[in-house]
Amino acid sequence: MSKTIVGGMDRRQLLKVLGLSAAAIGGASTLTACGGLKGSASGTSDVLKIGFVSPQTGPLASFASADNYVVKQVQQALAKGFTAGGSTRQIEIVVKDTQSNSTRATAVTKELITQDQVDIVVGSGTPDTTNPVADQCEASGVPNITTIAPWEAWFHGRSGVSGEGFKYTTLFFFGMQEFADCFTPMWKRMDVANQNVAALWPDDTDANAFRKGLTPLAEAQGFKMIDGGAFQNGASDYSSQIAKFKAENAELFTCTPIPPDFQTFWKQAAQQDYRPKLATVAKVMLFPSEAEALGKLSNNIATDIWWSPYHPYKSSLDGTTAQQLADGFAEETGNQWTQALGSVYSLFELAVEGFKQASDPKDRDDVADKLRNMNTVGMSGPLDFTKGPEPGIAVQHPVGGQWRKGTKFDWDITIVDNTPNPDVPVGGDLEATNA
Amino acid sequence: MPAAARKETDYPMDLLNTLVQGLMLGGLYALFAAGLSIMFGVMRMVNLAHGDLAVIAGYLVLVLLGGTMFPLWLVVLVTLPLFAVIGYGIHRSLFSRSLKAGPLSALLVTFGLSIVIQNGLLEGFSADTRTIDMGVLNTGAFHLNNQLSISYLGLLTLILAVVVIVGVQLFLSRTRTGKMMRAVSDDADTASLVGANSKHLYAIATAIAFGTVALAGIMSGARSSFDPSIGPTQLIFAFEAVVIGGLGSLWGTLAGGVVLGLTQAFAAHLDPSFTILAGHLVFLAVLAFRPQGLIPQRTV
Repeated sequence: MSKTIVGGMDRRQLLKVLGLSAAAIGGASTLTACGGLKGSASGTSDVLKIGFVSPQTGPLASFASADNYVVKQVQQALAKGFTAGGSTRQIEIVVKDTQSNSTRATAVTKELITQDQVDIVVGSGTPDTTNPVADQCEASGVPNITTIAPWEAWFHGRSGVSGEGFKYTTLFFFGMQEFADCFTPMWKRMDVANQNVAALWPDDTDANAFRKGLTPLAEAQGFKMIDGGAFQNGASDYSSQIAKFKAENAELFTCTPIPPDFQTFWKQAAQQDYRPKLATVAKVMLFPSEAEALGKLSNNIATDIWWSPYHPYKSSLDGTTAQQLADGFAEETGNQWTQALGSVYSLFELAVEGFKQASDPKDRDDVADKLRNMNTVGMSGPLDFTKGPEPGIAVQHPVGGQWRKGTKFDWDITIVDNTPNPDVPVGGDLEATNA
Repeated sequence: MPAAARKETDYPMDLLNTLVQGLMLGGLYALFAAGLSIMFGVMRMVNLAHGDLAVIAGYLVLVLLGGTMFPLWLVVLVTLPLFAVIGYGIHRSLFSRSLKAGPLSALLVTFGLSIVIQNGLLEGFSADTRTIDMGVLNTGAFHLNNQLSISYLGLLTLILAVVVIVGVQLFLSRTRTGKMMRAVSDDADTASLVGANSKHLYAIATAIAFGTVALAGIMSGARSSFDPSIGPTQLIFAFEAVVIGGLGSLWGTLAGGVVLGLTQAFAAHLDPSFTILAGHLVFLAVLAFRPQGLIPQRTV
């Protein structure tokens, strides 16, 4: 008996040591996140601080894979400083990880505001990041820009008042209208027996937005959505949905599931001989890793592309083109470009632009006001916050791209339909997903 | 073809397809649950890192595939015993110590292990989605007719689940080690009086559990996909299969897996939004009205 107690003590001590070392490691990583950055004299007003929040670990980490590279590029581009409010300013970027958790996102945003005393907070990667970060900034009166979240989820999800919007928080991305503008032209180009479109929509915020938003927009174009039913994320079997799609002979397919569910569904569809002529997917197949995982089954799956190296855009900071940014990323990290590369880059462009336009970059109300009325061109192309569907939102227009065998990497995107944004050159013909 | 396809749809065939798909899904759940059931049956230990261990097995296969020129079947054959050895080692070094301090401590240790595994995998392999490419097994199926197809992978998983559970059952009832394991499970102190080394026997049970969960992880990695954080989702179904079948009973686990698979399949057939809920409801109903499970007798 006494032996057990002694053992317990030992373990407790061990845990204590482990806990302390974990805290030490955690602290060290925070230090590295802040360290190595320019202008450590944070007290002086010549240094403008940008807080950056993204899901660097956890299930959403794919959205943040390009973050470090982008931060480095921005720091290099602004190494000599820039003029804002009548004097030369240096920037300092403080990076925080949400661990893919919205509660944690709130906590780190609070830290940025109260401890690091940043002048602006930017954030990226699904409503789980954008909404808590924006809410915290709005409450604290700190200017904020976020991206990669459908604007409806960001605006209505935070109970935005239509026509009024928010004072400190802004977003650039797109919504249901743009998804419809991107997908329906491709559907129309396919030679299909009927206008039925199979829809694999789970029961979550994103998919329900599609269920409510895309259905009427598609119907207006003459398409009939065949809803497979609001299943719960993480389902292991999709036989019932596949049976329904087959029975309705839906040769067009769209979906908004979580990535692992799409992998399961798409394999099962092949096993059970459901082979739609064209698959236009949202939320999944955004990252090359997903295409690699699906292998041959990825061929000619189409998705919405809001940024690619083929977009004719360049940095407003130093003129780096989209292609150069993607190439540089590949060279330095060995990884393939992702769409987040351009979006995250633009977050910093907008922040700097906000500082430049404000008469005093330290005046939060002034910077927030400039952001809300910004109309600028950069890595993500033209972003006009004055003409969005709601105040403080700039809308991007994604084009249609298909995954195909690549030359440099296993799988790469070919732009196949630029109806929503003719500035983006088409790289190839639209091909059937399953011939 | 389109018009013909619609005509061929008939309801009995639809139900038959649901039954077949549900059975195969049940096979996967049972295979997943086997290891959990063994560990609980032998040492009353709930392993919360079970799902994460399955994910590690998936990554191990990928690493071995990438690092060697071995074909997939050979890699799988190497991975399973390798994983069993790891299981033996982890039991002797980690689990046996925590078991001494009581079941709660063991539970917490596996919970901690789960977190360590998830973050370790994320650090080592990034959050990218991975799958195990089994070639034609991934997409091939026996197409019996337009509505009914039996995928090679699903069938293989079901067969493996039955083979694993029958095999472990035979091991426990027929071999000397298996009988000693049952003796230790019943009363470790008394069994040790007649020369049974409980630490060693428990570690063997863990090794078997690790071997089966590796197999489950590989089959699931081919059927679906995996990433560092997906383990806990897989744990919940395995856990439900064990409880529905009856804690500590291997036959029960097989039955529990199949019941869960069929419930989900038929619920999905009626309304996809009830799929997972229906499984949970069956689980709750069993807990409420038949807490000993479907096949309660302790076979381990």
